[in-house]
Amino acid sequence: MPQNKKRNIGQFPWRYPESVLVTGSFILAGFILQSVAGEFNFYLLAKPVNYFITGFMVLLCITLGLFCSKSKFISWFSGVEMSVSLISALLFLSLIMGFTPQTTHSHSLFGFDAMTSSWAFVIIYLLTLLSLGILTVRRLRHFQSRSLGFYFNHSGLWLLMLCSGLGYADMERYIMHVREGETEWRVYNDNNQMKELPVAITLHDFDMDYYPPKLAIIDLDNGDVLPTTNPDFFQIDPDMLQGKLNGWKIEVEEYIHQAVRNSDSTYQEVSMPGATPAIRVRATKDHIVRSGWICGGNQAQLFMTLPLDDKTSMVMTVAEPRKFISDVDIYTQSEKKISTQIEVNKPVSVDNWTIYQYGYDNKAGRLSSYSSFELVYDPWLIPVYIGIIMLMFGSIMMIWSGKGRKEAINDME
Amino acid sequence: MTWNDFIYFAIPAILMWVIAGILVYAKKTARASEVLMLMGIAVFTAFIIGFWIHIERPPMRTMGETRLWYSLFLTIVGYVAYKRWQYPWLLSFTAAIAAVFVIINLLKPEIHSKSMMPALQSIWFIPHVVSYILSYAMFGSATIGAIILLHKKNQDKHIFNFTDNMIYVGFGFLMLGLLMGAIWAKEAWGHYWSWDPKETWAFITCAAYLGYIHIRLKRNKKTNNLALWFVIIAFILLMITWIGVNYLPSAQHSVHVY
Repeated sequence: MPQNKKRNIGQFPWRYPESVLVTGSFILAGFILQSVAGEFNFYLLAKPVNYFITGFMVLLCITLGLFCSKSKFISWFSGVEMSVSLISALLFLSLIMGFTPQTTHSHSLFGFDAMTSSWAFVIIYLLTLLSLGILTVRRLRHFQSRSLGFYFNHSGLWLLMLCSGLGYADMERYIMHVREGETEWRVYNDNNQMKELPVAITLHDFDMDYYPPKLAIIDLDNGDVLPTTNPDFFQIDPDMLQGKLNGWKIEVEEYIHQAVRNSDSTYQEVSMPGATPAIRVRATKDHIVRSGWICGGNQAQLFMTLPLDDKTSMVMTVAEPRKFISDVDIYTQSEKKISTQIEVNKPVSVDNWTIYQYGYDNKAGRLSSYSSFELVYDPWLIPVYIGIIMLMFGSIMMIWSGKGRKEAINDME
Repeated sequence: MTWNDFIYFAIPAILMWVIAGILVYAKKTARASEVLMLMGIAVFTAFIIGFWIHIERPPMRTMGETRLWYSLFLTIVGYVAYKRWQYPWLLSFTAAIAAVFVIINLLKPEIHSKSMMPALQSIWFIPHVVSYILSYAMFGSATIGAIILLHKKNQDKHIFNFTDNMIYVGFGFLMLGLLMGAIWAKEAWGHYWSWDPKETWAFITCAAYLGYIHIRLKRNKKTNNLALWFVIIAFILLMITWIGVNYLPSAQHSVHVY
């Protein structure tokens, strides 16, 4: 590319100085607007405003990209220098965000503590969408199959940014608490306001499973795990029946994952909601031998410890949960009935709702008599997923071809 | 195979990698260097497989466990890139950095328990982490290239080409890792993007490398230097994303352990 002759700022073709100047001015304008008008209210974008903006955005990108592509202004606005400036602006704003603890509503002058709803962020986001959209349309005019990666990446990102940004205003999230054996359709939002939904859930049963817990030695005076500076634990593991714990040699004689205490203070395996892990160990240190049952206990059963000497005792830690399962029926207004199990990481989708396992009675654990669900309504999810999948294809193409052939930049000039 | 056995694999692997990194500079011993590098990788892989089988879950939960993968991927990327580009420094630098990470794991092992909270039990867990760590390894080698280029007055086109490629391929993996994380987040936490501090920093890292890629679309001497500085700053941001975020006051409630 021949080096440009000396030109004044503002004289076309515009390059980095103008791009940085324009982007910087928009950020500044955003900060000023924020300090005068307060933060940007996302819920102004709620349906039907976001549909209107989507239509307007598509029209604008197509019109400018197709019919004004010869314009020096449009080629600059969708060109390399402007894209670098916009990316740097997003980088700058997100860096502020990365160093400032974020809250839901801004209390600071420029909105640094709620960056995503600050005017500067919203303006740069919209400019990026516009620049990205126009460029994609311009490049699609001269379709080249070797630029397939470009199309996937740029239109995928455009779709993702547009629909996740505008769709945010239409998203609804609620919590529903359902007792075992009952049916519920009332939910609560963040502010604890009640609402009735077109979705109802019947909870048949809630259950959970635990990992084997750990053993620890505690100081009987204060309950601290020893040694206090660097607490030592012995992870119970059916494959590893021996180990060391704070100077004691441990041998596992028997481990019962679901145990119930007998009248003689021994344990037997019984699979029922009130069962708890129990272990029979033999601990040795300097010819002192201690052996017996240890159990962490729960709401239904007492705990059991193994005294080692006057001051210390071996105990079992609280087990970490492995699985939460709610056995439910889901009813919708469209007269669907779905019988299923909801687990963490295995939500259920019905109409535009996604239902998640959310919580339970923490104190009762397996004995919890209710289960809580989070219900998320997101009508813009499908286009967002299409954007994500397009970007994934684009990424795979980048991995495949690397820097490869030089991108056809020059046809943009 | 438990964590206690790590040292019997780690020390031989480090020795083989470091010797390989030295021998690669002499023409006569270059072949031996390759063999040593591969043997080190094999020994290290054997440990990871054995350890994975023992703990009955993917060893990707703690910071120490991700360092295992970083060492492995860095040496693999270093070896493959050396075969492709023939720069001996690639092999020795990646070997040295991998060795440093192994030594950190020897000196500061972390708790390696079998339990994994339910939200982590997802098919996206392994590809999400592997993809990310792989991209980190590539960006690591691209950064070495950028430092060498900035150091030399006369910029070597081949090394620049190498840096470009590493960043393109690394960026592909970075995006895949991020997108798979988004899909997983939708399944586990109700939304694909919540601006969790780790997510914010992932966005920052992404934007920085995206900036590099776009700067490189039009080349001249000035933008070349700007681009190289972008690589170095991007890598610092990447390190904050990976290691530093948990220490920031803005990130006390992140759902990410590492």
